[in-house]
Amino acid sequence: MTRWLILAAIAALSLWALAAFAALPLAQWPALPWHPEALTVPQILLTHGLMPRGVVALLAGACLGLAGALMQAVLRNPLADPTTLGTSSGAQLALVAATIFAPGLLAEGALPVALAGAAAVTLPVLALGARRGFAPVTVTLAGMLAGMLTAAIATTLTLSQGHYLLSLVIWNGGALTQQDWGGVHRLALALVPALALAALLARPLMVLSLGSEGAQGLGLRLAPLRLGTILLAVWLSALVSAELGMVGFVGLAAPAMARALGARTIRTRLLISALTGALVLSLADGTLLALAAAGGPVLPTGALTGLIGGPLLLWLLPRMAAQVPQATESGAREVHRSAGPGRVLVCLALLLMTCSVLTLFGGRGPEGWGFIAPALQAEFLPLRATAIVAALSAGALLAGSGALLQRLTANPMAAPEVLGVTGGAALGYAVAVFTLPQPTALALALGTAAGGALALAALSRHALRADLAPARLLLAGLAIGALATAVLGAIMASDDRRAWQILGWLAGSAAQVTPEGAAALAALALALLATLVAASRWLEILPLGPAVGRALGLPMTSLRLGLILTAGLATGAATLLVGPVSFVGLMAPHLARALGLARAVPFVAGSWLIGALLMVLAAFGARTASFPYDLPLGLVATLIGAPWLFLTLMRKSPA
Amino acid sequence: MTLFFLQNVAFDVPGRRLIDGLSLTIAAGAVTALVGRNGSGKSTLLKLIAGQTRPSAGRICHLGRDLADYPARDRARQIAYLPQVPPPAEGMKLAELVALGRYPWRGALGRFRPEDHDAVARAMARCGVEAMADRLVDSLSGGERQRGWIAMMLAQGAATLLLDEPTSALDVAHQVEVLALLRQMCHETGLSAVIVLHDVNMAARFCDRVVALEGGRLLLEGPMTELMTPGALSRVYGLPMHVAGRGGHAYALPE
Repeated sequence: MTRWLILAAIAALSLWALAAFAALPLAQWPALPWHPEALTVPQILLTHGLMPRGVVALLAGACLGLAGALMQAVLRNPLADPTTLGTSSGAQLALVAATIFAPGLLAEGALPVALAGAAAVTLPVLALGARRGFAPVTVTLAGMLAGMLTAAIATTLTLSQGHYLLSLVIWNGGALTQQDWGGVHRLALALVPALALAALLARPLMVLSLGSEGAQGLGLRLAPLRLGTILLAVWLSALVSAELGMVGFVGLAAPAMARALGARTIRTRLLISALTGALVLSLADGTLLALAAAGGPVLPTGALTGLIGGPLLLWLLPRMAAQVPQATESGAREVHRSAGPGRVLVCLALLLMTCSVLTLFGGRGPEGWGFIAPALQAEFLPLRATAIVAALSAGALLAGSGALLQRLTANPMAAPEVLGVTGGAALGYAVAVFTLPQPTALALALGTAAGGALALAALSRHALRADLAPARLLLAGLAIGALATAVLGAIMASDDRRAWQILGWLAGSAAQVTPEGAAALAALALALLATLVAASRWLEILPLGPAVGRALGLPMTSLRLGLILTAGLATGAATLLVGPVSFVGLMAPHLARALGLARAVPFVAGSWLIGALLMVLAAFGARTASFPYDLPLGLVATLIGAPWLFLTLMRKSPA
Repeated sequence: MTLFFLQNVAFDVPGRRLIDGLSLTIAAGAVTALVGRNGSGKSTLLKLIAGQTRPSAGRICHLGRDLADYPARDRARQIAYLPQVPPPAEGMKLAELVALGRYPWRGALGRFRPEDHDAVARAMARCGVEAMADRLVDSLSGGERQRGWIAMMLAQGAATLLLDEPTSALDVAHQVEVLALLRQMCHETGLSAVIVLHDVNMAARFCDRVVALEGGRLLLEGPMTELMTPGALSRVYGLPMHVAGRGGHAYALPE
């Protein structure tokens, strides 16, 4: 372990030194103490730019690594990291909103605004968590929901106010550029007491690793411990968000690396996670600095952490002990089964048809709300019908994949975008936009499909080798997704007009779909439903785990592979239309379960219908909310679904 | 007759050999207890003969046929396996759980025939869980749930039952109930069972034969009476034990 850490430290230092010597030969470095008035400009750039930047990378990485390790220890979930509480997205939204509506607030610096935003998003998540005794699944799920919602709103604001927000796009990518030692002071002042607090929390967290019942048996009071730990982690990550922007993935990768390096007890794991976090961010930043010094492009560092962290995590996964995330914890879920699942399905189908017809004829025109005039029907109805069919099919595809993945992994957090397929598809789209001089719709579709397929292929190859334990599959998917996001972030920050086309597509729209495209999507959605119903007996057995599945003679490896491919293809097809905001894939299965659809056939069929219904409503909202302009479809889906799901989570009886 | 025949079977995990050159014969038509200290390789051996994992080396035959040659569903019709901790069956009724045992016969698409419904009904009657058919599995008590899972194994129609510590979460009355049920089924209908058991007295009371492991190697294989001697018990558990008899049954107590 020590050897690896020292090697990484040497590599990080050499990269920084390479950039520093390229900027200013060692002979010209100023002697201490520095007096700015006596220094030349290159010397000031070194002492007030490069030097604090190197230190900030270490400090921020340590903060994120420590925050991630704390979250994973308290949630007992190797997929948890600071972003799963929505903290980073909250900070991002606050800064975006402040830049547009109240730029004066930012005069005092970004920190208070970002902290307020982070707290405003994290608070409801924590409130929900408290009602459930901070059961891990609930907190993670609520945090992810809140994060997705705020990120969607921030994207819309960025889209609608594009001319203001180039600096925000760069901030979103996580820029480590420093002008003085202020950032170093603030981060260091936070990190030292945080480390001390973490040391105090280590022993109770070790007890908590026995599970909540075992810990209570040893006399541990759970709620204060969980609240305190989460607050500490949130504070650390909010601080980094405010100081540097979105530096994702370090909080997820650092604790995973610490575990893989053999950090066994919570105390060493917290410490080593802080160290590995510092080294990862430092390596990423050093690489970019060296690249820029060699005449390469100047990229934000946060965009690169995924590039380093993603493949590293993929490499570490087979070396990790199997760790299954907490599927259920007592009290987190009450089993509710509908007495007449058939009736529920019929109601859902009727509701879907009614909504489709209503939104086909109804809407908002130049004269206000109402049904479409007969004279205009011939011209407008086909257009509207195409958009509705496309949205409906995309929703059904996403929801069907989500239901499939949740059955396959027995993990309520499994969703198409966790597979990394949406990220890969987005990457393919971006490549098509940038490499072709005049990309046609077909070229874009092919590029998107190829990207999704590549991500899927990478995942399947890896998954096959590692025997496909659910937690590993999800982690591998996250790693691939982060890789794609990192590349996209770098493209966005590259100050190219074509980036706006990608940003617009990322938020999703149903307006440009051709009738042929809509028909193809509808055919795919029906094919997916048929496949799911045909596979229902498998989907019934799979949640019972691989041992029971094998004992009953299920061909586990080929079956899992086939189902993942199905989910991946369905997701890729839907992503083409609605963009990679696949919130529906997570939400629809949850709603189906809340309606009491427990068995495989009603569950998948119900999820399929709910997904279609949600997207029909979303398409209607996108068309009418800011008439005559279309809003992004994925955004509206998120705005409808997230509060609903949040309420569903809140309403269930507390533990 | 030979139920399982193992030849030089080894099983490795990275850095450790869990089963080490094991050659062994397990008799058919009997209840066989698999005993040994913690970490002796009992559960690993059970998973190997259940076809859950493949051996790193050596050969395992079930009723004269190499286990590696069985297609998955064929194997499941012959061998039923119950893992140590049955997984939570979220939102599933007991009757639906038992019906899953018919998967090896009907596959993903085959329709349920009258004989499938019969098999499910008989399995539930056999295990005395008909009254709970419409209850959710997760709402049952430990003993009821365990009987439900055994009913699923029976519905599977396999002649070989493999159970990993089926009584570890049960009180003594339920332990007796579950083990007596298994023993009765094997003796009346000619099934064979291999059961991992910790409690040596329960093993002595309900099992016909015994396989004892230590460090992944075979220590003892034979009729139950061969285990119930102070010498054999101290070799298996590394602990001096008294053996006494009452009414034809031997029992052991640590000294």
